[in-house]
Amino acid sequence: MEVKAVTEGDILIVTPVGRVDTSTAKSFEEEVMKALAQASKVAISFSEINYISSAGLRVILMAGKKVASTQGKMALINMPEKIFAVFKMSGFDKILKIVPTLEDAKALFG
Amino acid sequence: MLIKVKNNIDEIATICDEVKKFCAENNISEQKAYDIAVIIDELATNIISYAYDDAQEHTFSITLEKDSKQVRIHLVDDGVEFNPLQNGTPDLESSLDDRKIGGLGIFLVQQLSEKVNYAREEDQNKLDVLVNVSEQQEQDQAPESEQKDQGAEPKPEQNKDNKKDEKGE
Repeated sequence: MEVKAVTEGDILIVTPVGRVDTSTAKSFEEEVMKALAQASKVAISFSEINYISSAGLRVILMAGKKVASTQGKMALINMPEKIFAVFKMSGFDKILKIVPTLEDAKALFG
Repeated sequence: MLIKVKNNIDEIATICDEVKKFCAENNISEQKAYDIAVIIDELATNIISYAYDDAQEHTFSITLEKDSKQVRIHLVDDGVEFNPLQNGTPDLESSLDDRKIGGLGIFLVQQLSEKVNYAREEDQNKLDVLVNVSEQQEQDQAPESEQKDQGAEPKPEQNKDNKKDEKGE
């Protein structure tokens, strides 16, 4: 799947495009992990994601674990309400940093 | 609506398109349409991934019906006997380090639906899922100020009791 990546200062902003389900999760995982290897501060933007299933949630959880293990920082930004509902239901709002905007992520990263 | 699905993971996007069409035709809100798509995606993914232990092509069916308050989703496959509801639920309270990867799919199905039933009949796995869509429709019709209060917050604790009764049948 298409995953855009741009750098702003020392933050890498990763923007996956389209839907993340079982059929696209593998390439989503590869792209996200590739991005995580490039920067210690990563913001994943959900502005262009219109659908995510548990297959996508798994990738985000793996990414969160990887970042934590390397003392990096990761924030999830621009999340539509319907997608946030699934993250909250899964308890991910307690273990991952979900903030409204890139500015909030920058403030979080310090 | 009847959807015939081949045991190929690439079918998932097609299924979701069909579900979206069904929800639009039946005036189901965007949030509920999303929930229904996730439910069907998770259950169909399970069937495609685990129901068939050979390399042959198989077809299973997904039926959607709507009455005034609910959408009924019925999935039937002729794969190996498997009750997905027997899996444990993920520990939502564990830390990031301890949180296990996986086990979320069926949990989401149970949280997003009113009832989930599994039955093994005539060498077929039959999953019957009920999704309440009336509450959301009422919200859609409510004045704007009330909608803001109600929002689209998930209510995971809402249906736990009646779901427990359905498990393990």
